[in-house]
Amino acid sequence: MTETLIFYMLSAVILLSALGVVLLPGVMHSALCLGLCLAGVAGIFASLGADFIFAAQILVYVGGIAVLILFVVLLAGSASDLVTRQINDSWLPSLFICAAFLWSFLKVTVYFSGIAASTLPVPAVKFIAAALLGDYAVPFELISLVLLASMTGAVLFGRRKAQ
Amino acid sequence: MTLSHYLALSGMLFTLGLFGVLTRRNVIGILMSIELMLNAANINFVAFNRFLYPGQYQGQATVVFIITLAAAEVVVGLALVMAIYKNIKSVYVENYNIMKG
Repeated sequence: MTETLIFYMLSAVILLSALGVVLLPGVMHSALCLGLCLAGVAGIFASLGADFIFAAQILVYVGGIAVLILFVVLLAGSASDLVTRQINDSWLPSLFICAAFLWSFLKVTVYFSGIAASTLPVPAVKFIAAALLGDYAVPFELISLVLLASMTGAVLFGRRKAQ
Repeated sequence: MTLSHYLALSGMLFTLGLFGVLTRRNVIGILMSIELMLNAANINFVAFNRFLYPGQYQGQATVVFIITLAAAEVVVGLALVMAIYKNIKSVYVENYNIMKG
């Protein structure tokens, strides 16, 4: 009962704030809604028993990405953004495309109805560490290379042009 | 709670993100909508791992990689947005036509 209540409350938070991200005219409000939505997704991870993913979601998404996006919103933009239209002309075809996607997703969902969790969740940090340094050792090293490359790229794009 | 509840939630979140990508004019809004879609995929990974493969953790390990890649993607994307904004002074994607021949 409590689990069901928590799931529906988190779902309401996630979907309403995602609607805010997509539809609010001010980008600042959208970015704040994005932080709320990511925190709600972290709650969903916690309710699924994924403790390490929950912590990583809070640290990286809510603490990193949402704050980074807020910084860029403050840097780029003008006062006239609040009164100009934020939705482009093709919103009606987009609505049909999204309706088709949603319909097919919900059709697929039917195949997985009735599958309930059989076991209680256990702390997963030890097993994820074993997977990252065992089966996933090569991708784990490659991802550090990707992080280094993205950091270098951000510095490269962000610096001033040499006169 | 069954698996289909979580799948329905992530489907709705993905659809909202897709609508944002297709309709927003602001490039930062498009980046935020992409983050929503990535989060929907992460919910799917963790939910399938929890309900179909209890006792195994490959799905959660994959989510760690996706979160890292999303952070790298948003860093490079926002650096590019700032670099373009310095030249064009606009955040609207209709004005981003400097690569037109």
